Amino acid sequence: MPDFGTLCLLIALACTGWAVIASYNGWRARSGELILSAERAVYAAWALVALAVLSLEYCIFQDRFDVEYVASYSNRALPRLYKVAALWAGQSGSILFWLFILLSYAALVLLLNRRRNRLLMPIVTTTLSFVATFFLLLVNFMTRPFVRLAVAPPDGGGMNPQLQNPFMAIHPPCLYAGYVGLTVPFAFAIAALATGSLNETWFRTTRRFTILSWFILGTGILLGGWWAYVELGWGGYWAWDPVENASLIPWLTCTAFLHSVMIEERKKMLRVWNLALVIMSFELAILGTFITRSGVISSVHSFTKSDVGPVFAGFLGLSVLVSVGLLIYRLPDLKSENRLDSFVSRESTFLFNNLLLVGAAFAVLWGTLFPILSEAVRGVKITVGPPFFNEIMVPIAFGLITLAGICPIIAWRRATPRKLLERIQVPFWSLLGGALALILGGVRDVYAIVSFSLCVFVIATTVMEFYWGARARQKATGERALAALRSLVDRNKRRYGGFIVHMGVMLIIIGITGSSAFKQDRTASLKRGESFSVGPYTMRFEDMVSSPDPGAAAHHGDETPNQNSEFQGARLAVFRGGRPAGMLVPGQNFYSAGQTTSTEVDILHSLREDLYLILIGFDPREGRATLKAYLNPLINWIWIGGAVVIAGAWLAMLPDLRDRKREAESRLREAERNAA
Amino acid sequence: MRRKEAPGRLTLTRAARLAAAVLLAAPALLFSADLTPQQQIESRLMCYCGCSDLTVRTCTCGTADGIREEIGSRLARGESPDQVVAAFIARYGAQIRSAPTKRGFDLLAWSTPYVALFAAGAALVLLVRRWGRGGRRAGAEPPPAAAEAPTSPADREIMKRIEREIREGR
Repeated sequence: MPDFGTLCLLIALACTGWAVIASYNGWRARSGELILSAERAVYAAWALVALAVLSLEYCIFQDRFDVEYVASYSNRALPRLYKVAALWAGQSGSILFWLFILLSYAALVLLLNRRRNRLLMPIVTTTLSFVATFFLLLVNFMTRPFVRLAVAPPDGGGMNPQLQNPFMAIHPPCLYAGYVGLTVPFAFAIAALATGSLNETWFRTTRRFTILSWFILGTGILLGGWWAYVELGWGGYWAWDPVENASLIPWLTCTAFLHSVMIEERKKMLRVWNLALVIMSFELAILGTFITRSGVISSVHSFTKSDVGPVFAGFLGLSVLVSVGLLIYRLPDLKSENRLDSFVSRESTFLFNNLLLVGAAFAVLWGTLFPILSEAVRGVKITVGPPFFNEIMVPIAFGLITLAGICPIIAWRRATPRKLLERIQVPFWSLLGGALALILGGVRDVYAIVSFSLCVFVIATTVMEFYWGARARQKATGERALAALRSLVDRNKRRYGGFIVHMGVMLIIIGITGSSAFKQDRTASLKRGESFSVGPYTMRFEDMVSSPDPGAAAHHGDETPNQNSEFQGARLAVFRGGRPAGMLVPGQNFYSAGQTTSTEVDILHSLREDLYLILIGFDPREGRATLKAYLNPLINWIWIGGAVVIAGAWLAMLPDLRDRKREAESRLREAERNAA
Repeated sequence: MRRKEAPGRLTLTRAARLAAAVLLAAPALLFSADLTPQQQIESRLMCYCGCSDLTVRTCTCGTADGIREEIGSRLARGESPDQVVAAFIARYGAQIRSAPTKRGFDLLAWSTPYVALFAAGAALVLLVRRWGRGGRRAGAEPPPAAAEAPTSPADREIMKRIEREIREGR
């Protein structure tokens, strides 16, 4: 089976290599046969890489420890879910998985466009195949997943215990799908630049792919945060680690694109900027991969330092060179009308939103790369950690939240102060009311007051937008309130999906603010029967439990049972305001394979706050357990907000009547062109 | 019909004044919950355990415990927070500091994002003004009169605005 996998990858490389040559030459020579052959080669490459993925999974499930990758990242006792996840636990497997996602996107794009966008498709195929060829070169010659060992060990090393979490099984595929998805708009942008077909086709065709990538990448980031929260045992969800930053940066530029493309649709402006944003998002995704895999920056997430770093850097350099070169070459054809009716217009707010989003992406990138710069210039290694990013990002975030509140109430083209004032009244009074309520409620943290009040402002703006629209529709059509709201949303899913996304983001910010500004922690060393408190909670240490204790096992029900580990935990009775609130069992898992330990936190969740308990250690001689408790106010609103963002993005991706009409018209025009 | 501004009604000037007053007064009126000197020092230092990229304040490993204990004993001996941080830097190098200093070369780390943002912002303001002049010169499209017509009832205006935006594909 390993040899079969190797063979599949070699043939797949030949297929994508052929696809690059055939589609490019087919486009140059206007040869339909070559173009078709290239497209078939992409389908074949997808099938071959799928077979290679299945081969590796087969080796993992069959405990083929003669395969180095299997011996390194799996073992006999590994639960089935994590045997699937072992595919992306190591360098070569994750690149193979990345490649599989890329070719899946490529095959889907070719399938969906087999009768459309025929002018762009050859170069789209060339670009997608070129990127796939790069990854195939890696898995064939640099980081091979099917390398055999001379002597197979009796058992494998197993997966890192911290990766053995259901969320970790989903988080990397989401990130990869998000990163790789950005290749699709990039390929269409390159095709538009190469062919000179610079009208709206390229971004209309890729709009759904862009939103999909944005939303999957965002979901991946959130799942990563959840995993860090429940698994890493430090009471937080985001540490501004270089690899976390690498996922956030393209997400920010992609968010900027999703806003600025609306100006191009309406005003035919920002054509260069939108192409630049799409190129930037793709290059930043590759840069993120480079950071993760090269070892240039130390990070807990990094794969083992390997020699793929320079190759990634070379690929990054080449793709930047080609993209920017094409963009410069086409600059004369990309002149837009560049006219704004008024400074006070929604277009302006979108421009400033883009400034802040790209500024935020730059700030994060700058902070992430500054240690390298410092070492290169001064020879001094420094750390750019959470205090830097928090201080730099908070003002930018406030600016973005303010714009998210103002933007919907400013009319397109031109807004008069009178109208603006009329529409801003409810949100503004909500902002002031919110701030006042917080102050009267005893909140004394200025950042928290500003942040919460701005969130209230945005939520009020968004709710009013739904209310005004539904009420006006109700009066115009006589529909009932709910029916009016439904038909309003149904008629423009993208617009109202976007508003729902804004609401979700505000809930996330409320969660981040609450859990950052009002976080409390307490560490205590307790004997049985002793108590300690944090916020309104008191925890009494009852006794120690260990697996196979059913209570302990059941308590950590989110963990798939693993015969290879032994659990030891402290049982604590929890009281809130003197009343019993439950029983928590924070503990540690000891993994015999690799002799490692992982922290198993226990959390009492509520909408108001989380009580988060960590067992730091247990001294059996003195019978003392050392425990750390965190009180994380409002933290669950981050995950609730994430679900709202997902719902909004999903709604925005659904086709509506307007899209279908436009699509039909576009097909008709293309058919007429072809006939002519 | 244009509605008259009621005396107590919010105007743009009044709103701006009120917002400025609130924003300026808030920091003076309020105080944030300060961290203890021990917690401040913990936030200024990274844990060097190698298993995380966390500050000593957030890391829960044994190494962080040791650092916390040392910070506590140094403070108890009467050392100032800066002296405690300097002692750790002397032993482990500048990398143990959780953020760059705001002096010399390190100041670049802090200033560059804002300098870039303000420069780009200024350029954007100039661009938008220029594009605005282009729009006025062209003058082909009248302002959205329907949306601004003082005689239309508010509901109809909103409906028209939304209908127009939906029709135009936003």
